[in-house]
Amino acid sequence: MKIVVCIKQVPETNDVKIDPVTHNLDRRGLAGVMNPFDKNAIELALTLKDSRDDVQVALLTMGPDDYAESLREGMAMGADEGYLLSDRAFAGADTLATGYVIAQALKKIGDADLILFGRQAVDADTGQVGPIVAEFLHQPQITYAASLRLSGANEVTAERLLEDTKQTLVAQLPAVVSVRSELNTPRYPTPRNIQLSFAKPLTVWHHDDLDLDDSRLGQAGSPTIVTKVYAPEPVKRELTPLTGTPSDAASQLITALKNRQLI
Amino acid sequence: MSKPELWVIAERRLDHVEPTTQQLITKAKGLAGDHFSVVTILLEATTDHLEDELSVYGPDEIRIARDDRFPTATDAELADAIKQLVDQYQPNSILFGATITGRSIAPRLQAKLQTGLTADCLDLRFDDETLVATKPSYGDNIMCEIICPDHRPQMATVRPNTFVAAPAAGAATVTDSPVTFHPVDRLHVTAATPVVNTATTVGDASRVVALGRGAASAATIDSATKLAEKLGGRIGVSRPLTDQPRFTHDDQIGQSGNTIHPELIVNFGISGAVQYLVGMQDSQTIVAVNADENAPIFDVADYGYVGDAQAFMTALLAQFN
Repeated sequence: MKIVVCIKQVPETNDVKIDPVTHNLDRRGLAGVMNPFDKNAIELALTLKDSRDDVQVALLTMGPDDYAESLREGMAMGADEGYLLSDRAFAGADTLATGYVIAQALKKIGDADLILFGRQAVDADTGQVGPIVAEFLHQPQITYAASLRLSGANEVTAERLLEDTKQTLVAQLPAVVSVRSELNTPRYPTPRNIQLSFAKPLTVWHHDDLDLDDSRLGQAGSPTIVTKVYAPEPVKRELTPLTGTPSDAASQLITALKNRQLI
Repeated sequence: MSKPELWVIAERRLDHVEPTTQQLITKAKGLAGDHFSVVTILLEATTDHLEDELSVYGPDEIRIARDDRFPTATDAELADAIKQLVDQYQPNSILFGATITGRSIAPRLQAKLQTGLTADCLDLRFDDETLVATKPSYGDNIMCEIICPDHRPQMATVRPNTFVAAPAAGAATVTDSPVTFHPVDRLHVTAATPVVNTATTVGDASRVVALGRGAASAATIDSATKLAEKLGGRIGVSRPLTDQPRFTHDDQIGQSGNTIHPELIVNFGISGAVQYLVGMQDSQTIVAVNADENAPIFDVADYGYVGDAQAFMTALLAQFN
């Protein structure tokens, strides 16, 4: 059984600033880390690998060369190999163009029984690439899975939490699944696995390694354009301070809430 | 010439319409003016009448495709059905709620249509016929305006409770528009059970006691629970506290959780990240208690106390009795 986990590298913090002059995002000095939600997807793959002898876990990401760090981290958790899709032609891709390249790479990897994604990336927060890839590969999808188990030789059973409904879904493989973070607690790499990870294969594919329609790549292949980036500004109010001891202040608040007919 | 169509995809929530659909109809009507026609797309079973819950919000048209398999259909099947309608009617724009379902179907449809989709939007407007969608990024610390200039339809998912649904006059035209249901045999929903208690999120409460990192001890949470009971409200938390087992995403206040506008919110130990402040700033009365007098939460509060959250809460509870 072959599992491919699609991962993304994101800035280590979401506390990004806007450059006051260029109005662009100022990401200087921000190191990259693996998207935390993707670790839940890797953990799921490794749990399945622990339960059977025949499971191979590959990691796949698209991005600059330093995204290899996240692949190495995932291999140190226990994944068997990594694929990095890296090319200038892929840069500036929105979710559609990203999903296209990932789907083409998955076709080249071939025969994945289960393709896993984290629920969304913490930087862009779209969660769209998983369903896009599923559509491009004509595979069924289970998004936001809260649990998943192998329920047959070629079958998984998953639970999905909608806003107020718990669904149970049964899928014949192959299938695409995105997972909620509540699903599991990702394991830490052990020193032994970290050491082993450096011997594991990390394959880099560039533009010419994949079968690609150039009009669907990068910025040119992206229907959406970001026209403006800004930091939201909260609306200020006039503050009435509550003063004195906690008891004094509580009494002032109760009076105020009574005046506002809130109590 | 007929007007370009602005679509709202109706979503089912158990046997009713998901409230976000109604919110989107109201917003779409505001955006449409005389220029667009607001069309609600409804996929339902042959005996369903969910259109009755939509028509009072006044879309120009409710276009219904019926099949008894729709209520339990999977994402790919629903996306396929909507794709058939898109091919037939060529809408200018399509709006989905950014619910689990909406965020799962919309990108599949996007891939079929090879067009742009902006996720989890907090605002929408039109420049002529170009949809300008405001999307939060980086945990809602940054807002982006995104357009899809050359592809149609333009698509967006919109965060629940971002807009307020308002009933509107005018009788919607209800039409049937058959599609062919293409079953995906490799995936089935085998059970769907209502989940108790998560139906109400902090977004539904009219009074909220909000807890942050500075009010996270077990004793403080217990006091806050009592205070919430006395106020007839419920507890909400800022993002750091969602790591605690007692709280989930349903309890989270802020743009990355639930955008809320209760009558009253009392914030304890919350310093006020931008996404939090923006996510609750439309509350009618805002109270803040924080040990740091420079905490940004005080900038947006009506009443503020600089001091210990637990001590203030204890005093408040004592005076309620």
